[in-house]
Amino acid sequence: MDIAEFQAYGYFASTLFLVVVLYAYIYHLYSKKKNADGIDYEQYSNMALHDDIDDTPVASIRDDKKK
Amino acid sequence: MENRPLEYDYTVTKMFMFTTILLGIVGMLIGVILAFQLAFPGVNLFLGEGLAEYTNFSRLRPLHTDAVIFGFTLSGIFATWYYVGQRVLKVSMAESKLLMFLGKLHFWLYLVTVAAVVVSLFAGVTTSKEYAEFEWPIDIAIVVVWVLFGLGIFGLIGIRREKSLYISVWYYIATFLGIAMLYLFNNMEIPTMLASAPDGSHVGGNWYHSISMYAGTNDALVQWWYGHNAVAFGFTVPIVAMIYYFLPKESGQAIYSYKLSLLSFWGLMFLYLWAGGHHLLYSTVPDWVQTMGSIFSVILILPSWGSAINMLLTMKGEWQQVAASPLIKFMILASTFYMFSTLEGPIQAIKSVNAIAHFTDWIVGHVHDGVLGWVGFMIMAALFHMAPRVFKREIYSKSLMTTQFWIQTLGVVLYFTSMWIAGITQGMMWRAHDEFGNLAYSFIDTVTVLHPYYTIRGVGGLLYLVGFLMFAYNIYKTMSARPVEESELQSASPMGA
Amino acid sequence: MFHWLEKHPFFFSVGVFLVIAFAGLVEILPSFAQASRPVIGTKPYSILETTGRQIYIKNSCNACHSQLIRPFKSETDRYGHYSLSGEYAYDRPFLWGSKRTGPDLMRVGNYRTTDWHENHMKDPAGVVPGSVMPAYRWMYTNIADIPTAYAEQLTNAQFFSVPYNEPIPMKDGTTEVVKMGNNVTQAHAMALAEAKEIAADMKDQNVKDAVARGEIPEIVALIAYLNSLK
Repeated sequence: MDIAEFQAYGYFASTLFLVVVLYAYIYHLYSKKKNADGIDYEQYSNMALHDDIDDTPVASIRDDKKK
Repeated sequence: MENRPLEYDYTVTKMFMFTTILLGIVGMLIGVILAFQLAFPGVNLFLGEGLAEYTNFSRLRPLHTDAVIFGFTLSGIFATWYYVGQRVLKVSMAESKLLMFLGKLHFWLYLVTVAAVVVSLFAGVTTSKEYAEFEWPIDIAIVVVWVLFGLGIFGLIGIRREKSLYISVWYYIATFLGIAMLYLFNNMEIPTMLASAPDGSHVGGNWYHSISMYAGTNDALVQWWYGHNAVAFGFTVPIVAMIYYFLPKESGQAIYSYKLSLLSFWGLMFLYLWAGGHHLLYSTVPDWVQTMGSIFSVILILPSWGSAINMLLTMKGEWQQVAASPLIKFMILASTFYMFSTLEGPIQAIKSVNAIAHFTDWIVGHVHDGVLGWVGFMIMAALFHMAPRVFKREIYSKSLMTTQFWIQTLGVVLYFTSMWIAGITQGMMWRAHDEFGNLAYSFIDTVTVLHPYYTIRGVGGLLYLVGFLMFAYNIYKTMSARPVEESELQSASPMGA
Repeated sequence: MFHWLEKHPFFFSVGVFLVIAFAGLVEILPSFAQASRPVIGTKPYSILETTGRQIYIKNSCNACHSQLIRPFKSETDRYGHYSLSGEYAYDRPFLWGSKRTGPDLMRVGNYRTTDWHENHMKDPAGVVPGSVMPAYRWMYTNIADIPTAYAEQLTNAQFFSVPYNEPIPMKDGTTEVVKMGNNVTQAHAMALAEAKEIAADMKDQNVKDAVARGEIPEIVALIAYLNSLK
C-alpha cells in the first residue's frame, strides 16, 4: 500500500467519522429536548440578549461548582 | 475598586475602534488611487516624477490589500472581541489587571507592527507572497501580537461567569487558531544572512531578506492553502462571529436556530480548508488537489448559507425594523452579500468557469463584493452598535447613516457589475480565435477595451470611500452627542436625527 | 455529554484545530514527500538573474503579470509551451501571480529582446499604445544590490542543495554549469561580466557609463532576469 492509497482510505474513514459524529450530535440535541425535563438548546441564544454584567447567566459557572 | 458597581471596561475596544477607522480610510483611499491608476495611467505620477517609485501601482497594491485585511478588518475583529467577549462571558476586563495590561500591550504592539509594515512595503521590502508579504522580522512581531490576542481570548474565558460559550466565541476561537496555523506554515522562510561564503569571508546584504522554505509548485500550494483560508479566517469566520452577536442584540430577537448555527459552524470548519485548491486550477499542482478544491468549494455553499439564512430568519416577523433602522439595514445587506459572494465563489471554482474567470477582473470583483458588501458593512454596523455603549452617547445622526448606506450600496453595485463585465469580456477575448485558428486579439486589445469598466469601478470605489468618511465623521461626532441612560441601550441603538 | 464541547473551551479548541488541520494534512503533506524535480534544461539563476528576480519582487511585478501558462490552445498560442512543475524547481518564492493585468511572462525571454525591454520599461505606452503599465524610470538610476542576491544564492546552495558549480543536463544532451562566486567580490565581478553583455545591447548612455564604472543599475539586472525566462 503506497502513501497515496493510505491517504485515500484514511481520508474516507475520517470524513465518515466526522459526519457521523456531527449528525449524532445534532440528533442528540433534538431528542434531548423532547424529554419533559430536557434542556432546550435554544435557551443559549439568551447569552447574547441578556448580557449585562448583572444579568443572571444562562448557566453559571458557580452553580456548577455548588453541585 | 471602591464601592462602584462593576462595569464592562471598553478601553481596549476604543483603541481598536480608532485603528479600524484610521486604517480603513488608508486602505480604501489607496484602493481608489489604484483603481484610477488602471483607468488613467497618468495617476501613477500623482506626486510627481521624483516620488514615482513610491506612488506606483505595483508598490501601492500590496499596501492596499494588507491595509484592508490586516489593518481595517483585523482591528475590527480585535475591537469587537474586546467588546463581545466581555459581554457574552459576563466578565469585565476591569476584573483582571493582567488581562487589561495584555490588552493594551496587544494594541500598542499591533500599532508598531502596522507602522513597520507600511514603511517596509513602501520601500519595496516584500516576499511577494500575497497577504504574506512581510519579511521575517515583521512576521515574528505578528506572531507575538497574535499570541497576545490568544491570551486575551483564553484569559477572559478562564475567568468567565457564563459556563457555556456563545456562538460568537466559537468563531473567535476558530479565527485565532486558524490564522495561527496558516500564518506559521506559509511564512516558513530562511533568512539569507544565515548563509556563509565558501571562503569564509563576510557576505553582507540586507539582514532582513529571506527566501521561502518551499519551492515552486509546493510554495504555490502552501500559499493558496493560506491565501484562501486567510480569507476564510479573516473575512468570514470572525465576521460571522460579529453578526451572531450584533444582529440579535440590535434587533432584540433571539437567533432563529441555535442548532443550525452549530451545524454550520462545524461544517464551515471542516470544509473551508479544502477549497484553497481552486486558486490553482489548470496549474501544475496535482490534478486531484484541483478537483478537491472545486468540489469542496461547491459544498461550502451549505454551511455558508446555513449561517446567512439563520441571520435572515432571525428577522422573521420583525422586518419593519429593516425599514426603520439603518443599523439593521447594514447588517441585513451584509448577510445578503455574504450569501451572494458565497454563491459566486463556488461558481468561479467550477473548472470550466475558472478557465475563463481566472487571472481576470471578475475575481477582483468577487473579492470586493465580499469585502465591501459583507466585511465592510458588518464591521461598520458593529462599530455603530458599539459606539453608543462605549461612549454612553447616542449615535450622532441617523439621517447621515441612512445616506451613507445608500451611497455605499450604490458604490458596491457599480464595483461588482463593472468587474463582472470586464472579467468576462477579457476572459472571452483572450481565448477567441478567428476562422483560420489564429488568436483574434492581441493582448493590448483586451486591455484597452476595459477602460470604461475601470472608470466605473473607480467611481464605485470612490463612492464607498465617501460613505466611509461619512461613517468616520458620524462616529467622531457621536463622542460629543447627547448622553444616554443605561435603559436606552437594551437593544436598538439610540440615534439622533 | 449534552452540550459538552461548548462548556469546555480547551477541548473545544482542540476539536476545532483537528478539524481545520485535517485538510492540510491530507492535501499538502503527501505532495511534499514527492517534491518536484527540475526538468531537463532547468538551470538555477545566475548572480545577475537572481538580482533581477529580487527587483521583480521588490516592485511587485507579480501583482499584474503571471508566470503560469495553462494548458489551453489560446494560451500556448500566445505564450508558448504550457508550464511544467519541474520548471519551477528553483523558484523560491514562486511567482505565478493571480491576475493578468498585463500578459504572462513565463517565457518572455523567447520573444522579447534587451532593446525592447529597455524602451518599454522607460515608456510602456510609447512601445505599446494603450498600455496601462506605469513607467519604471528609477530603475535606470537605482543601483542593484548584489550582496543580498549573493546571500540568496548561497542560501539556496547551502540549505536547499541547489546545484551551483555542477554540470546540469540540457535538452540537447550537453551539460552546462552555473557558476557561483566564492566570496562577494567574486560574485560582484561575475555580475558585472553579465551586466556588460546586457549593456552592450542597450542605448541609454547613463546606464552604459554606470556599467563601465563598475556599477549595475537595477534595469540591467531586471532585463537579465526577464531574458532568462524561457
